[in-house]
Amino acid sequence: MTRFDSATIAAFVDGELDDLTARRIDAAIADDADLADAVMRERELRAKLSAHFDSVLDEPVPDRFAALLGGAAAAMAPTPAPSIDTSFAARLAAKKDVQARRFALPQWSAMAASLVVGLTVGGLALGGGGGAGRIDGGGALVASGGLADALDTQLASAQGAGPAVRVGLSFTDKSGAYCRTFESASLGGIACRDDGAWQLRQTVAGQGGADYRQASAGAIAESAAAMMAGAPLDAAQERAARDKGWSR
Amino acid sequence: MAFEQELLALVPKLRRFARGLAQNAADADDLCQAALERALNSRAQWQVGTRLDSWMYRIMRNLWIDNRRAVQRRGTALDIDDAAMHIADDSHERMEAAMELGDVDRALARLPDEQREAVMLVLVEGYSYREAAELLDVPQGTLTSRLGRGREALMRELGEAA
Repeated sequence: MTRFDSATIAAFVDGELDDLTARRIDAAIADDADLADAVMRERELRAKLSAHFDSVLDEPVPDRFAALLGGAAAAMAPTPAPSIDTSFAARLAAKKDVQARRFALPQWSAMAASLVVGLTVGGLALGGGGGAGRIDGGGALVASGGLADALDTQLASAQGAGPAVRVGLSFTDKSGAYCRTFESASLGGIACRDDGAWQLRQTVAGQGGADYRQASAGAIAESAAAMMAGAPLDAAQERAARDKGWSR
Repeated sequence: MAFEQELLALVPKLRRFARGLAQNAADADDLCQAALERALNSRAQWQVGTRLDSWMYRIMRNLWIDNRRAVQRRGTALDIDDAAMHIADDSHERMEAAMELGDVDRALARLPDEQREAVMLVLVEGYSYREAAELLDVPQGTLTSRLGRGREALMRELGEAA
């Protein structure tokens, strides 16, 4: 039996709740299996819908639209053929292109399975499923539990030394989505906001320890640089985005 | 950026929204084209500095609603004898067409228009409740209750199909 009605749960998943109620729900999820289940079903619905419709975004724009919108269309052609430019920028861009594809890739499945089964983020194993991440209906890996909570609420400028998950940069990627880098002893990576959930675009797991931290932090930073449009959010922008629930 | 260039940049998302409203790719692209043509013709009504995307979505949604109403009116204007043999709106044809679609398309096709547009705007296009309600010109409470009924219906259908 849950004390939150379906409209509130939906608003929670949609990022429409005030901060206080959202935190209450997040805390309640650990003890309330019905609530956790309801939240997960809403998240899965959103993920199923976006997985279904996002393929339209990847389709090349039909000629009829380019023609309708005139000669300016020539300057906005769809993704060009791979460049022979071997500069660092081109290599980063190619890497970004690979990373930006949908996530139901074979090489992610072992990682994804371990995250779902029990790889926790600094012991924060709250939320449905018991892990820091779960697979959504479209095969994407999305943050759950304590990791989702950290991504939703923590500010890099105000998190202190305490938290098990530390957020790093917040930025907008080239599709306009908010993304955040994060790291903890057991897991780091980049998550991007998509339809109410944090999709894990890149994850780096390891044994912990200083050397691993340095290596993984560099890889994450390089990916973030390739993904971002413009500069990272400053402290005020980060706070504003967080307060709006990371919605557009 | 020129007005046309900004519209062109929106086309992928507009096609996505149209696909959710119209459920088949051909009708969706026709809807998208009609919306863009109207936008080009009413360009003077867009205030520079306001959001072009919400303006475009509103144009497309209104065109789609007008089209849906015209289809339904055609049905009710039939002769009484014909009416006895025909369905008053096109829901029957829609259901048959829906049989050939995948799970998500089928489930969406079964939603009443007002729930489908709420689901598309909030859950797929990512508009906030306030923005979606403004776009549809309804109170926010109306938007959220339509959205709630739509997502419950979808979860029932898609949950069983999973």
